[in-house]
Amino acid sequence: MSESEQRHAHQCVSCGINIAGMSAATFKCPDCGQEISRCSKCRKQSNLYECPDCGFMGP
Amino acid sequence: MSDNENDAVEVADEEPETETEAVAETEPAEAATEDETAETAEAADEAAEAEEAEPEPAFDEDVMPDEDADLLIPVEDYLAAGVHIGTQQKTKDMVRFIHRVRDDGLYVLDVSQTDSRIRTAADFLANYSPEQILVTSSRQYGRFPAEKFADAVGARARTGRFIPGTLTNPDYAGYIEPDVVVVTDPIGDAQAVKEAITVGIPVIAMCDSNNQTSNVDLVVPTNNKGRRALSVVYWLLANETLDRRGSDTVYALEDFEAEL
Repeated sequence: MSESEQRHAHQCVSCGINIAGMSAATFKCPDCGQEISRCSKCRKQSNLYECPDCGFMGP
Repeated sequence: MSDNENDAVEVADEEPETETEAVAETEPAEAATEDETAETAEAADEAAEAEEAEPEPAFDEDVMPDEDADLLIPVEDYLAAGVHIGTQQKTKDMVRFIHRVRDDGLYVLDVSQTDSRIRTAADFLANYSPEQILVTSSRQYGRFPAEKFADAVGARARTGRFIPGTLTNPDYAGYIEPDVVVVTDPIGDAQAVKEAITVGIPVIAMCDSNNQTSNVDLVVPTNNKGRRALSVVYWLLANETLDRRGSDTVYALEDFEAEL
């Protein structure tokens, strides 16, 4: 995996910010298994997220 | 907690019952006394007929937009358990799970979405090893179903008071490091949610119409205050999770209902 791909893998799916810190959460999409990352702000504000692969809408 | 938290909560307006009272007051007293005996006899007959015609309680409620939706259990079972009953308050976060508001001001949750989210939560939990799942319930009615769910799927349960430091203090004897947390009520189990944020693990929460979904990664919209509603939801979640793992074990609803 290239450096840019690694950076992309740790971006918040809602706002696109690069994730740092412990408050963020990373989990597999319940529908397709794609990895989803959410930053602490989007979690706190309960911003909607969408799986980039299957389109599952959460939370 | 934000300062404008109360702004997000809306209360349903209750209609004043002034019309019926006014009509009752204007009725002449004399007419009532003359036909009193005849009316009571007729009313008794009608009531008896109604009881004979409807031996079971009728669930005529409109609880989901698509009546032909494929559900895990019949919609009547959901209604009997009161899974769809919300509160008289709603939050902006939960609006998309609310189907309608009843005349008495209670918001009705969309049962098809509850059903769908139970399946989704089961898929979600199937990604984790059983012992890495933590179930919490500080709510009295959720304790037994949560413990039973944990027992069924092999997870760990923390019911009653959630000791601060359970997820964050390695010196505490009861310290654990789960990979996912399932909470019965984000308000009652606020300490568990707070510690899950600190350690950065996903949170699945059973949310009623008055809950905010801050720091929740997967919402299961349901009545999280009723005894039977919590039993049904945990029962379905347990069976679905076991099904995803390929287990043959199937639990009955009675196993998840606490004795009164």
